[in-house]
Amino acid sequence: MPMPFFGRKAEPDAPGVHPDPLWSLQPRSDREAGDAITSNFAFHAFPAKVSKASMAWSYSFWLGTISAALFFLLILSGLPLLFLYVPSVERAYQSVKDIEYVITFGSWIRAVHRIAAHGMVIAVFLHLVRVYLTGAYKNGAGRGQRREWNWVLGVVMLLATLFLSFTGYLLPWDQLAFWAVTVGTNIASSIPGIGPTVRELLIGGRTIEQATLIRFYVLHVVILPLGLGGLFAYHMWRVRKDGGLAIAEHDAVVERPVETPVVATKTYTLLGVARGQAPVIRTQSIEAPGTTVNAVPDLVRRAAIATLSTIAIVGIMSVFIASPLEEPANALVTPNPAKAPWYFLWLQEIVTDTTIRIGSFTLNGAFVGGVLLPGLLVTLLTAWPWLDRSPVLAAGVWLPRVRARQNMVFLLLVLGILVLTFVGMALRGPYWNFYWPWEVWPDIPARI
Amino acid sequence: MAALTAQGAASLRSLVPNVSYDSPTTVKLGSPADFPDGLKFLPDERLFVFRQGNTFHAISAVCTHLGCTVRAEALANLQTAGSGAGELRLTHRFLCPCHGSEYKGDGSNVSGPAPKPLAWYRLSFAPDDGQLVVDLAAEVDTDFRLTAG
Repeated sequence: MPMPFFGRKAEPDAPGVHPDPLWSLQPRSDREAGDAITSNFAFHAFPAKVSKASMAWSYSFWLGTISAALFFLLILSGLPLLFLYVPSVERAYQSVKDIEYVITFGSWIRAVHRIAAHGMVIAVFLHLVRVYLTGAYKNGAGRGQRREWNWVLGVVMLLATLFLSFTGYLLPWDQLAFWAVTVGTNIASSIPGIGPTVRELLIGGRTIEQATLIRFYVLHVVILPLGLGGLFAYHMWRVRKDGGLAIAEHDAVVERPVETPVVATKTYTLLGVARGQAPVIRTQSIEAPGTTVNAVPDLVRRAAIATLSTIAIVGIMSVFIASPLEEPANALVTPNPAKAPWYFLWLQEIVTDTTIRIGSFTLNGAFVGGVLLPGLLVTLLTAWPWLDRSPVLAAGVWLPRVRARQNMVFLLLVLGILVLTFVGMALRGPYWNFYWPWEVWPDIPARI
Repeated sequence: MAALTAQGAASLRSLVPNVSYDSPTTVKLGSPADFPDGLKFLPDERLFVFRQGNTFHAISAVCTHLGCTVRAEALANLQTAGSGAGELRLTHRFLCPCHGSEYKGDGSNVSGPAPKPLAWYRLSFAPDDGQLVVDLAAEVDTDFRLTAG
């Protein structure tokens, strides 16, 4: 029986027979490079050729790849936790405590999961900022491009990431978790009319109890990861359909259509040959000469560097940064101050400051700051590709002059969110009072 | 298609709770003699019960902004609110740890994001053993007093 050959043959067995039956990371020809894409499952999502410009570290910072790597790492580190965690109000806290203090490598796995989760919120957010600042949601010359819809998908994925984080936050069932979720779900119930019903559906009752825990648990481990995974696949597929990153458009748009000579091995229509016309192919795509490279090995190498370094960095950080676990959840005592997770602190700042009083009429800040303003922000983000009227050439470029004004406004909003987050993190003390970092918090008893 | 729709609708409907196993809203709080003059905080009910001589009233400890439990802080100088028979000695003020809302001793909101005053609840004496009973479903006006007699 002939053994399958895994090495590299110097010469094909016969003319027309493929010299190498398997794929290779060091292809010797374009053909072998293409074979690596089509015969390797892990690479099948890649194009055969990729624009050189779009692989630049300084264009995209590879933030999308980093986000995906973190998502992958979250699934990986979530699996052992799935075996160890018990989603019941009596046992959840104890099981997390066991993970933290009893189980071998438990605290490291939990730290990886937690740091990757926080990292993913940051990476996805920065990815959105990058795409906005480079106007990468704009369509170029390609047919069937729907970049604006991929942007909408991205906004939904950011929300899914935040909701994943939020649902994971409750699971340890400690004070931090309990009160963050109390505040979070009360924001939902501040919507006039349907609010209380929404909250009841969200937490499966009127108080945060077992029904809430199991709901958040199933959302966290099944529904949201599946949903985000599906969206991710669709997001990547759209990137391919849209002709890669927006920066690649410049190869097509800027360059004049290039006339390429007849290729000897290709067959053209008999009519063309009979009329004595030299058949000419007009290329008008990113395939303009010199702008692309084979995905194997160039794209694969960079994707591997981005993915593996992300995983390595999170792994190393998790050795040194322990995950907090507060006292068990206690519905009777609200911690002072009670803070939301850091990525929601800007919202907590807003809900503090937006209660509006007009005469005797009062609008709860929970609704204005917790529902109306964030809703408006998300709506604006979603609709922006259709509102942005800047020319196509402004796409795929960092901070172009024609988009200066909208980039400025966007950056101010981002800065505002960052400042509010910082204020909430560092400058708020007991009773949510303002304290400078060098001021000492007054001594307030935990109970009255 | 109809089968799929029915399956989907049934699955979603099953997630809407039909029964709520909340704790009852009418709760016995103990003998009136157990309540000292001034304020007593009952964490289980998230309730402040006030006694002024032989009159009682109860104010919710649930912040009207986002539902955190407010804390009572004793005042250095006593204040009063109302007049005549309804006069209240205000011994405390209430502060919310979540977003810094502040309420006066009668529950009225003074500053911070809280949109309305803390709720007052109906108090009564249990007909069987004379314990103090609160009805957490019955909000009352701020002139409500329960007089032992």
